[in-house]
Amino acid sequence: MGEVIVITSGKGGVGKTTTTANLGVGLAMKNKNVVLIDADIGLRNLDVVMGLENRIVYDLVDVVEGNCRTKQALIRDKRHDNLFLLPAAQTRDKNAVSPEQMQKLCEELKQEFDFILVDCPAGIEQGFRNAIAGADQAVIVTTPEVSAVRDADRIIGLLEAAEIKLSRLLINRLRPDMVKRGDMMDIDDIVEILAIELIGVIPDDEKIIISTNRGEPVVTNNNSLAGQAYRNVVQRLLGETVSFLDLHQHHSFFSRLKRLIGFGG
Amino acid sequence: MSKQTVEFKGNRDGVTIYCLDHAEFSDILSDLAKRLKKRAAFFGEAPVRIDVGQREITEAEKQALCDVIKQNSRLHLTAIQSAAERPPAVAAARRQGETDDLRLDGFKEGRAIVIKRTLRSGQYVRFPGHVIVLGDVNPGAEIVADGDIFVFGTLRGIAHAGVNGDRGASVVALRLAPTQLRIADIISRAPDDSELPEQPEYAYVSDLGIMIAAVTTKLGS
Repeated sequence: MGEVIVITSGKGGVGKTTTTANLGVGLAMKNKNVVLIDADIGLRNLDVVMGLENRIVYDLVDVVEGNCRTKQALIRDKRHDNLFLLPAAQTRDKNAVSPEQMQKLCEELKQEFDFILVDCPAGIEQGFRNAIAGADQAVIVTTPEVSAVRDADRIIGLLEAAEIKLSRLLINRLRPDMVKRGDMMDIDDIVEILAIELIGVIPDDEKIIISTNRGEPVVTNNNSLAGQAYRNVVQRLLGETVSFLDLHQHHSFFSRLKRLIGFGG
Repeated sequence: MSKQTVEFKGNRDGVTIYCLDHAEFSDILSDLAKRLKKRAAFFGEAPVRIDVGQREITEAEKQALCDVIKQNSRLHLTAIQSAAERPPAVAAARRQGETDDLRLDGFKEGRAIVIKRTLRSGQYVRFPGHVIVLGDVNPGAEIVADGDIFVFGTLRGIAHAGVNGDRGASVVALRLAPTQLRIADIISRAPDDSELPEQPEYAYVSDLGIMIAAVTTKLGS
Protein backbone atom coordinates (compact mmCIF):
# COMPACT_ATOMS: atom_id res chain seq x y z
CA MET A 1 0.00 0.00 0.00
CA GLY A 2 1.54 3.30 -1.07
CA GLU A 3 1.80 6.59 0.74
CA VAL A 4 0.28 9.77 -0.68
CA ILE A 5 2.31 12.89 0.09
CA VAL A 6 1.08 16.34 -0.87
CA ILE A 7 3.70 19.04 -1.48
CA THR A 8 2.12 22.35 -0.53
CA SER A 9 2.96 25.88 0.63
CA GLY A 10 0.14 28.39 0.39
CA LYS A 11 2.39 30.99 -1.18
CA GLY A 12 3.39 30.66 -4.80
CA GLY A 13 6.91 30.56 -6.10
CA VAL A 14 8.57 28.97 -3.08
CA GLY A 15 9.55 25.78 -4.89
CA LYS A 16 6.70 23.26 -4.61
CA THR A 17 7.10 21.97 -8.14
CA THR A 18 10.90 21.82 -7.96
CA THR A 19 10.59 19.96 -4.65
CA THR A 20 8.03 17.52 -6.05
CA ALA A 21 10.25 16.75 -9.04
CA ASN A 22 13.39 16.29 -6.92
CA LEU A 23 11.75 14.15 -4.26
CA GLY A 24 10.10 12.05 -6.96
CA VAL A 25 13.36 11.43 -8.80
CA GLY A 26 15.16 10.88 -5.48
CA LEU A 27 12.66 8.23 -4.41
CA ALA A 28 12.89 6.58 -7.83
CA MET A 29 16.70 6.48 -7.46
CA LYS A 30 16.05 4.51 -4.26
CA ASN A 31 14.17 1.95 -6.38
CA LYS A 32 10.72 2.99 -5.23
CA ASN A 33 7.75 3.00 -7.61
CA VAL A 34 6.69 6.62 -7.76
CA VAL A 35 3.99 8.63 -9.46
CA LEU A 36 3.88 12.42 -9.47
CA ILE A 37 0.49 14.09 -9.83
CA ASP A 38 0.41 17.69 -11.01
CA ALA A 39 -2.70 19.09 -9.33
CA ASP A 40 -2.09 22.61 -10.62
CA ILE A 41 -4.75 22.39 -13.31
CA GLY A 42 -4.54 25.27 -15.75
CA LEU A 43 -1.00 26.26 -14.71
CA ARG A 44 0.87 23.04 -15.15
CA ASN A 45 4.64 23.13 -14.66
CA LEU A 46 5.76 19.78 -13.35
CA ASP A 47 5.96 18.28 -16.84
CA VAL A 48 8.32 21.08 -17.89
CA VAL A 49 10.57 20.69 -14.85
CA MET A 50 10.69 16.95 -15.53
CA GLY A 51 11.39 17.53 -19.24
CA LEU A 52 8.31 15.51 -20.24
CA GLU A 53 6.13 18.22 -21.75
CA ASN A 54 6.20 16.87 -25.31
CA ARG A 55 4.94 13.44 -24.28
CA ILE A 56 1.58 14.49 -22.84
CA VAL A 57 -1.44 12.91 -24.51
CA TYR A 58 -3.93 12.48 -21.68
CA ASP A 59 -4.04 14.32 -18.38
CA LEU A 60 -5.55 14.33 -14.88
CA VAL A 61 -8.90 15.67 -16.05
CA ASP A 62 -9.13 13.01 -18.77
CA VAL A 63 -8.58 10.37 -16.10
CA VAL A 64 -11.23 11.60 -13.66
CA GLU A 65 -13.72 12.19 -16.48
CA GLY A 66 -13.13 8.68 -17.78
CA ASN A 67 -11.81 9.71 -21.21
CA CYS A 68 -8.91 7.31 -20.74
CA ARG A 69 -7.64 4.67 -18.37
CA THR A 70 -5.33 5.87 -15.60
CA LYS A 71 -2.44 3.84 -17.05
CA GLN A 72 -2.76 5.60 -20.40
CA ALA A 73 -2.26 9.02 -18.86
CA LEU A 74 0.85 8.09 -16.88
CA ILE A 75 4.04 9.29 -18.57
CA ARG A 76 7.18 7.28 -17.87
CA ASP A 77 10.24 9.33 -16.93
CA LYS A 78 13.12 9.55 -19.38
CA ARG A 79 15.76 8.22 -17.01
CA HIS A 80 13.90 6.22 -14.38
CA ASP A 81 11.63 3.37 -15.39
CA ASN A 82 9.88 3.31 -12.04
CA LEU A 83 8.89 7.02 -12.09
CA PHE A 84 5.70 8.30 -13.69
CA LEU A 85 3.99 11.65 -14.14
CA LEU A 86 0.27 12.30 -14.25
CA PRO A 87 0.17 15.77 -15.80
CA ALA A 88 -2.43 18.46 -15.15
CA ALA A 89 -4.76 19.69 -17.86
CA GLN A 90 -3.70 23.04 -19.22
CA THR A 91 -6.97 24.06 -20.86
CA ARG A 92 -9.22 23.57 -17.83
CA ASP A 93 -9.41 25.03 -14.34
CA LYS A 94 -9.35 23.80 -10.73
CA ASN A 95 -13.10 23.12 -10.72
CA ALA A 96 -12.72 20.39 -13.33
CA VAL A 97 -11.82 17.97 -10.50
CA SER A 98 -13.52 17.34 -7.15
CA PRO A 99 -11.90 16.23 -3.87
CA GLU A 100 -13.85 12.96 -4.07
CA GLN A 101 -12.43 12.21 -7.52
CA MET A 102 -8.89 12.96 -6.30
CA GLN A 103 -9.39 10.71 -3.31
CA LYS A 104 -10.55 7.87 -5.55
CA LEU A 105 -7.61 8.36 -7.90
CA CYS A 106 -5.11 8.33 -5.03
CA GLU A 107 -6.63 5.14 -3.64
CA GLU A 108 -6.31 3.52 -7.04
CA LEU A 109 -2.65 4.58 -7.48
CA LYS A 110 -1.78 3.47 -3.93
CA GLN A 111 -2.42 -0.12 -4.96
CA GLU A 112 0.45 -0.06 -7.44
CA PHE A 113 2.92 2.60 -6.34
CA ASP A 114 5.03 3.08 -3.22
CA PHE A 115 4.81 6.85 -3.29
CA ILE A 116 2.31 9.23 -4.84
CA LEU A 117 3.53 12.83 -4.68
CA VAL A 118 0.91 15.51 -5.33
CA ASP A 119 2.16 18.91 -6.49
CA CYS A 120 -0.35 21.32 -4.96
CA PRO A 121 -1.22 24.67 -6.54
CA ALA A 122 -0.66 27.90 -4.60
CA GLY A 123 -3.63 29.26 -2.66
CA ILE A 124 -6.18 27.72 -0.32
CA GLU A 125 -9.13 27.35 -2.66
CA GLN A 126 -10.52 24.47 -4.69
CA GLY A 127 -7.14 23.45 -6.12
CA PHE A 128 -5.70 23.11 -2.62
CA ARG A 129 -8.71 21.15 -1.39
CA ASN A 130 -8.40 18.79 -4.36
CA ALA A 131 -4.68 18.28 -3.84
CA ILE A 132 -4.94 17.37 -0.14
CA ALA A 133 -8.10 15.25 -0.49
CA GLY A 134 -6.32 11.92 -0.86
CA ALA A 135 -3.15 12.77 1.07
CA ASP A 136 -1.79 10.73 3.98
CA GLN A 137 0.92 13.24 4.80
CA ALA A 138 2.20 16.62 3.73
CA VAL A 139 5.47 18.36 3.07
CA ILE A 140 5.09 22.09 3.57
CA VAL A 141 7.57 24.14 1.56
CA THR A 142 8.53 27.59 2.75
CA THR A 143 11.31 30.05 2.10
CA PRO A 144 12.93 32.15 4.85
CA GLU A 145 10.62 35.09 4.22
CA VAL A 146 8.00 36.41 6.62
CA SER A 147 5.22 36.21 4.01
CA ALA A 148 6.01 32.61 3.03
CA VAL A 149 6.18 31.54 6.68
CA ARG A 150 2.85 33.24 7.37
CA ASP A 151 1.20 31.36 4.51
CA ALA A 152 2.81 28.10 5.62
CA ASP A 153 1.28 28.63 9.06
CA ARG A 154 -2.15 29.09 7.51
CA ILE A 155 -1.68 25.93 5.45
CA ILE A 156 -0.60 23.90 8.50
CA GLY A 157 -3.78 24.99 10.26
CA LEU A 158 -5.88 23.90 7.29
CA LEU A 159 -4.05 20.55 7.10
CA GLU A 160 -4.68 20.00 10.80
CA ALA A 161 -8.37 20.74 10.26
CA ALA A 162 -8.37 18.24 7.37
CA GLU A 163 -6.83 15.66 9.72
CA ILE A 164 -3.69 15.01 7.70
CA LYS A 165 -1.78 12.92 10.20
CA LEU A 166 1.77 14.06 9.44
CA SER A 167 2.96 17.46 8.23
CA ARG A 168 6.66 18.18 7.89
CA LEU A 169 8.48 21.33 6.95
CA LEU A 170 10.96 21.88 4.14
CA ILE A 171 12.79 25.20 4.17
CA ASN A 172 13.84 26.11 0.67
CA ARG A 173 16.31 28.62 -0.70
CA LEU A 174 18.16 29.35 2.51
CA ARG A 175 21.17 31.63 2.12
CA PRO A 176 23.55 30.91 4.98
CA ASP A 177 25.59 34.06 4.32
CA MET A 178 22.50 36.24 4.70
CA VAL A 179 21.38 34.40 7.84
CA LYS A 180 24.83 34.96 9.29
CA ARG A 181 24.57 38.69 8.65
CA GLY A 182 21.16 38.72 10.30
CA ASP A 183 19.45 39.67 7.02
CA MET A 184 17.43 36.46 6.71
CA MET A 185 15.27 34.47 9.10
CA ASP A 186 17.19 31.50 10.37
CA ILE A 187 15.97 27.94 10.67
CA ASP A 188 15.28 28.22 14.39
CA ASP A 189 13.08 31.32 13.91
CA ILE A 190 10.98 29.52 11.32
CA VAL A 191 10.68 26.26 13.24
CA GLU A 192 9.75 28.15 16.40
CA ILE A 193 6.79 29.83 14.73
CA LEU A 194 5.57 26.86 12.72
CA ALA A 195 6.27 24.27 15.41
CA ILE A 196 6.30 21.21 13.16
CA GLU A 197 8.97 18.66 12.38
CA LEU A 198 11.68 19.78 9.97
CA ILE A 199 12.31 17.37 7.09
CA GLY A 200 14.94 19.35 5.25
CA VAL A 201 16.71 22.61 4.48
CA ILE A 202 17.64 23.27 0.87
CA PRO A 203 20.28 25.93 0.31
CA ASP A 204 19.84 28.48 -2.44
CA ASP A 205 21.76 27.09 -5.38
CA GLU A 206 22.19 28.36 -8.95
CA LYS A 207 22.33 24.77 -10.11
CA ILE A 208 18.61 24.41 -9.32
CA ILE A 209 17.68 27.03 -11.89
CA ILE A 210 20.00 25.49 -14.45
CA SER A 211 18.65 22.00 -13.87
CA THR A 212 15.02 23.18 -13.84
CA ASN A 213 15.48 24.82 -17.22
CA ARG A 214 17.07 21.65 -18.59
CA GLY A 215 14.34 19.41 -17.21
CA GLU A 216 16.82 17.44 -15.10
CA PRO A 217 16.12 17.67 -11.36
CA VAL A 218 19.18 18.66 -9.32
CA VAL A 219 18.83 15.67 -7.00
CA THR A 220 20.78 13.63 -9.56
CA ASN A 221 23.71 16.07 -9.43
CA ASN A 222 26.39 14.83 -7.07
CA ASN A 223 28.27 18.13 -7.15
CA SER A 224 25.40 20.23 -5.85
CA LEU A 225 24.78 20.99 -2.19
CA ALA A 226 21.06 21.42 -2.96
CA GLY A 227 21.10 18.01 -4.65
CA GLN A 228 22.63 16.49 -1.52
CA ALA A 229 20.03 18.25 0.65
CA TYR A 230 17.23 16.78 -1.47
CA ARG A 231 18.76 13.32 -1.26
CA ASN A 232 18.76 13.68 2.52
CA VAL A 233 15.07 14.64 2.48
CA VAL A 234 14.35 11.52 0.44
CA GLN A 235 16.11 9.38 3.05
CA ARG A 236 14.05 11.02 5.80
CA LEU A 237 10.86 10.31 3.80
CA LEU A 238 11.96 6.67 3.81
CA GLY A 239 12.19 6.77 7.57
CA GLU A 240 15.98 6.98 7.87
CA THR A 241 17.69 9.32 10.30
CA VAL A 242 20.06 11.66 8.53
CA SER A 243 21.79 14.58 10.18
CA PHE A 244 21.18 18.00 8.69
CA LEU A 245 23.72 19.43 6.28
CA ASP A 246 26.16 21.91 7.67
CA LEU A 247 25.31 24.90 5.52
CA HIS A 248 27.62 27.32 7.29
CA GLN A 249 30.98 26.46 5.86
CA HIS A 250 33.03 28.41 8.38
CA HIS A 251 32.10 28.60 12.01
CA SER A 252 33.12 31.14 14.52
CA PHE A 253 34.17 29.66 17.81
CA PHE A 254 31.00 30.95 19.42
CA SER A 255 28.57 29.40 16.96
CA ARG A 256 30.38 26.09 17.23
CA LEU A 257 30.05 26.32 20.99
CA LYS A 258 26.33 27.00 20.68
CA ARG A 259 26.00 24.00 18.39
CA LEU A 260 27.79 21.83 20.91
CA ILE A 261 25.47 22.72 23.72
CA GLY A 262 22.45 22.20 21.59
CA PHE A 263 21.15 25.60 20.50
CA GLY A 264 22.31 25.49 16.92
CA GLY A 265 20.45 24.04 13.99
CA MET B 1 -45.64 22.07 26.88
CA SER B 2 -43.71 19.81 29.24
CA LYS B 3 -40.86 22.35 29.42
CA GLN B 4 -40.17 23.40 32.97
CA THR B 5 -41.34 26.88 33.93
CA VAL B 6 -40.54 26.97 37.67
CA GLU B 7 -37.80 25.62 39.91
CA PHE B 8 -38.06 24.80 43.60
CA LYS B 9 -34.99 25.37 45.72
CA GLY B 10 -34.76 24.73 49.43
CA ASN B 11 -32.51 26.76 51.70
CA ARG B 12 -32.21 27.50 55.39
CA ASP B 13 -34.89 30.20 55.16
CA GLY B 14 -37.43 27.85 53.62
CA VAL B 15 -38.32 27.37 49.98
CA THR B 16 -37.72 29.66 47.05
CA ILE B 17 -39.66 29.17 43.83
CA TYR B 18 -37.80 30.53 40.81
CA CYS B 19 -39.93 31.49 37.81
CA LEU B 20 -37.69 30.81 34.80
CA ASP B 21 -37.14 33.77 32.51
CA HIS B 22 -38.16 32.05 29.28
CA ALA B 23 -41.57 30.93 30.57
CA GLU B 24 -44.94 32.56 29.86
CA PHE B 25 -46.66 33.87 32.98
CA SER B 26 -49.84 31.84 32.34
CA ASP B 27 -47.78 28.63 32.00
CA ILE B 28 -46.05 29.45 35.27
CA LEU B 29 -49.39 29.71 37.07
CA SER B 30 -50.69 26.38 35.77
CA ASP B 31 -47.38 24.57 36.23
CA LEU B 32 -47.03 25.94 39.75
CA ALA B 33 -50.56 24.84 40.70
CA LYS B 34 -49.93 21.35 39.37
CA ARG B 35 -46.62 20.87 41.16
CA LEU B 36 -47.75 22.40 44.46
CA LYS B 37 -50.76 20.11 44.55
CA LYS B 38 -48.59 17.07 43.94
CA ARG B 39 -46.10 17.95 46.68
CA ALA B 40 -48.30 19.80 49.20
CA ALA B 41 -47.65 17.22 51.87
CA PHE B 42 -43.90 17.39 51.37
CA PHE B 43 -43.68 21.16 51.71
CA GLY B 44 -46.04 21.40 54.67
CA GLU B 45 -46.29 24.90 56.12
CA ALA B 46 -42.78 26.08 55.23
CA PRO B 47 -42.14 29.73 54.47
CA VAL B 48 -41.89 30.38 50.72
CA ARG B 49 -40.46 33.12 48.56
CA ILE B 50 -41.30 33.58 44.90
CA ASP B 51 -38.54 34.82 42.64
CA VAL B 52 -39.94 36.20 39.38
CA GLY B 53 -36.51 36.54 37.76
CA GLN B 54 -35.91 39.31 35.23
CA ARG B 55 -39.58 39.93 34.38
CA GLU B 56 -41.63 42.83 35.73
CA ILE B 57 -44.97 41.82 37.15
CA THR B 58 -48.17 43.73 37.85
CA GLU B 59 -50.14 43.84 41.09
CA ALA B 60 -52.78 41.58 39.50
CA GLU B 61 -50.12 39.02 38.61
CA LYS B 62 -48.73 39.19 42.14
CA GLN B 63 -52.21 38.50 43.44
CA ALA B 64 -52.56 35.56 41.06
CA LEU B 65 -49.36 34.05 42.42
CA CYS B 66 -50.60 34.47 46.01
CA ASP B 67 -53.86 32.76 45.08
CA VAL B 68 -52.13 29.81 43.45
CA ILE B 69 -50.02 29.24 46.55
CA LYS B 70 -52.97 29.56 48.86
CA GLN B 71 -55.30 27.32 46.85
CA ASN B 72 -52.82 24.50 46.25
CA SER B 73 -50.69 24.28 49.36
CA ARG B 74 -50.33 25.27 52.98
CA LEU B 75 -47.06 27.17 52.26
CA HIS B 76 -46.59 30.48 53.95
CA LEU B 77 -45.74 33.15 51.34
CA THR B 78 -43.25 35.63 52.78
CA ALA B 79 -42.11 37.65 49.74
CA ILE B 80 -42.23 38.07 45.99
CA GLN B 81 -38.87 39.28 44.65
CA SER B 82 -37.24 40.02 41.30
CA ALA B 83 -33.72 39.01 40.30
CA ALA B 84 -32.44 42.44 41.31
CA GLU B 85 -33.93 42.09 44.79
CA ARG B 86 -32.40 38.69 45.54
CA PRO B 87 -30.64 38.79 48.88
CA PRO B 88 -26.96 37.94 48.28
CA ALA B 89 -27.14 34.92 50.55
CA VAL B 90 -29.83 33.40 48.36
CA ALA B 91 -27.75 33.77 45.20
CA ALA B 92 -24.73 32.31 46.94
CA ALA B 93 -26.68 29.44 48.39
CA ARG B 94 -27.83 28.37 44.96
CA ARG B 95 -24.55 26.65 44.20
CA GLN B 96 -22.85 24.00 46.18
CA GLY B 97 -19.19 23.61 46.97
CA GLU B 98 -18.21 27.24 46.81
CA THR B 99 -16.36 29.07 49.51
CA ASP B 100 -17.26 32.56 50.72
CA ASP B 101 -13.92 33.85 49.40
CA LEU B 102 -15.30 33.63 45.87
CA ARG B 103 -17.03 36.93 46.49
CA LEU B 104 -13.79 38.77 47.28
CA ASP B 105 -12.74 41.75 45.22
CA GLY B 106 -10.46 40.66 42.37
CA PHE B 107 -12.22 37.35 41.90
CA LYS B 108 -13.80 37.13 38.50
CA GLU B 109 -16.18 34.40 37.54
CA GLY B 110 -17.40 33.20 34.19
CA ARG B 111 -17.26 30.62 31.45
CA ALA B 112 -13.90 29.76 30.03
CA ILE B 113 -12.54 27.73 27.18
CA VAL B 114 -9.17 26.00 27.34
CA ILE B 115 -7.43 25.56 23.99
CA LYS B 116 -4.62 23.03 24.15
CA ARG B 117 -3.03 23.71 20.81
CA THR B 118 -1.46 26.46 18.76
CA LEU B 119 -3.78 28.81 16.90
CA ARG B 120 -2.46 29.38 13.41
CA SER B 121 -2.92 32.07 10.79
CA GLY B 122 -6.55 32.32 9.69
CA GLN B 123 -7.95 30.62 12.78
CA TYR B 124 -10.48 32.71 14.68
CA VAL B 125 -11.81 32.05 18.17
CA ARG B 126 -14.83 33.98 19.45
CA PHE B 127 -15.95 33.01 22.95
CA PRO B 128 -18.42 34.57 25.39
CA GLY B 129 -16.11 34.19 28.38
CA HIS B 130 -12.44 33.80 29.17
CA VAL B 131 -10.02 32.16 26.75
CA ILE B 132 -6.99 30.18 27.88
CA VAL B 133 -4.53 28.95 25.27
CA LEU B 134 -1.85 26.40 26.07
CA GLY B 135 0.20 27.03 22.95
CA ASP B 136 1.05 29.93 20.70
CA VAL B 137 -1.23 32.36 18.91
CA ASN B 138 0.50 32.95 15.58
CA PRO B 139 0.30 36.05 13.43
CA GLY B 140 -2.94 36.09 11.46
CA ALA B 141 -4.84 34.25 14.20
CA GLU B 142 -7.43 36.12 16.25
CA ILE B 143 -9.05 35.65 19.65
CA VAL B 144 -12.11 37.63 20.66
CA ALA B 145 -13.38 37.11 24.22
CA ASP B 146 -16.00 38.66 26.46
CA GLY B 147 -13.61 38.13 29.35
CA ASP B 148 -9.86 37.84 29.79
CA ILE B 149 -7.35 36.14 27.51
CA PHE B 150 -4.47 34.06 28.84
CA VAL B 151 -1.85 32.66 26.49
CA PHE B 152 0.65 30.19 27.86
CA GLY B 153 2.91 30.62 24.88
CA THR B 154 3.76 33.42 22.50
CA LEU B 155 0.94 35.72 21.47
CA ARG B 156 1.77 37.14 18.04
CA GLY B 157 -1.73 37.44 16.57
CA ILE B 158 -4.63 39.67 17.52
CA ALA B 159 -6.28 39.49 20.94
CA HIS B 160 -9.46 41.34 21.86
CA ALA B 161 -10.48 40.99 25.51
CA GLY B 162 -13.65 42.38 27.12
CA VAL B 163 -15.24 42.78 23.72
CA ASN B 164 -18.61 43.79 25.21
CA GLY B 165 -17.05 46.83 26.81
CA ASP B 166 -15.39 45.41 29.92
CA ARG B 167 -12.39 47.66 30.41
CA GLY B 168 -11.40 45.59 33.40
CA ALA B 169 -10.45 42.72 31.11
CA SER B 170 -6.81 41.94 30.53
CA VAL B 171 -4.58 39.99 28.18
CA VAL B 172 -1.77 37.92 29.63
CA ALA B 173 0.90 35.98 27.72
CA LEU B 174 4.19 34.30 28.47
CA ARG B 175 5.51 36.33 25.58
CA LEU B 176 3.24 39.18 24.65
CA ALA B 177 4.05 40.29 21.11
CA PRO B 178 0.66 40.77 19.45
CA THR B 179 0.20 42.48 16.10
CA GLN B 180 -2.70 44.27 17.72
CA LEU B 181 -4.19 44.36 21.17
CA ARG B 182 -7.74 45.40 21.93
CA ILE B 183 -9.42 45.68 25.29
CA ALA B 184 -13.09 46.73 25.32
CA ASP B 185 -13.24 49.72 22.94
CA ILE B 186 -9.55 50.55 23.06
CA ILE B 187 -7.12 49.45 20.37
CA SER B 188 -3.36 49.55 20.41
CA ARG B 189 -0.76 48.09 18.13
CA ALA B 190 2.79 46.95 18.69
CA PRO B 191 5.50 49.50 18.01
CA ASP B 192 7.05 48.86 14.59
CA ASP B 193 10.44 47.92 15.98
CA SER B 194 9.28 45.81 18.89
CA GLU B 195 11.18 42.73 19.97
CA LEU B 196 9.98 39.66 21.82
CA PRO B 197 9.76 40.36 25.54
CA GLU B 198 11.83 38.15 27.76
CA GLN B 199 9.33 37.74 30.56
CA PRO B 200 5.60 37.20 30.83
CA GLU B 201 3.55 40.38 30.52
CA TYR B 202 -0.02 41.48 30.89
CA ALA B 203 -1.97 44.25 29.24
CA TYR B 204 -4.65 46.28 30.96
CA VAL B 205 -6.55 49.50 30.47
CA SER B 206 -5.50 52.62 32.37
CA ASP B 207 -6.39 56.28 31.92
CA LEU B 208 -3.55 56.49 29.42
CA GLY B 209 -4.87 53.67 27.24
CA ILE B 210 -3.64 50.09 27.09
CA MET B 211 -0.61 49.58 29.32
CA ILE B 212 1.76 46.63 29.42
CA ALA B 213 3.41 45.46 32.62
CA ALA B 214 5.66 42.57 33.45
CA VAL B 215 4.11 39.69 35.32
CA THR B 216 6.20 39.26 38.41
CA THR B 217 5.87 37.18 41.51
CA LYS B 218 4.68 40.27 43.36
CA LEU B 219 1.77 40.88 40.98
CA GLY B 220 -1.01 39.64 43.22
CA SER B 221 0.01 41.45 46.38
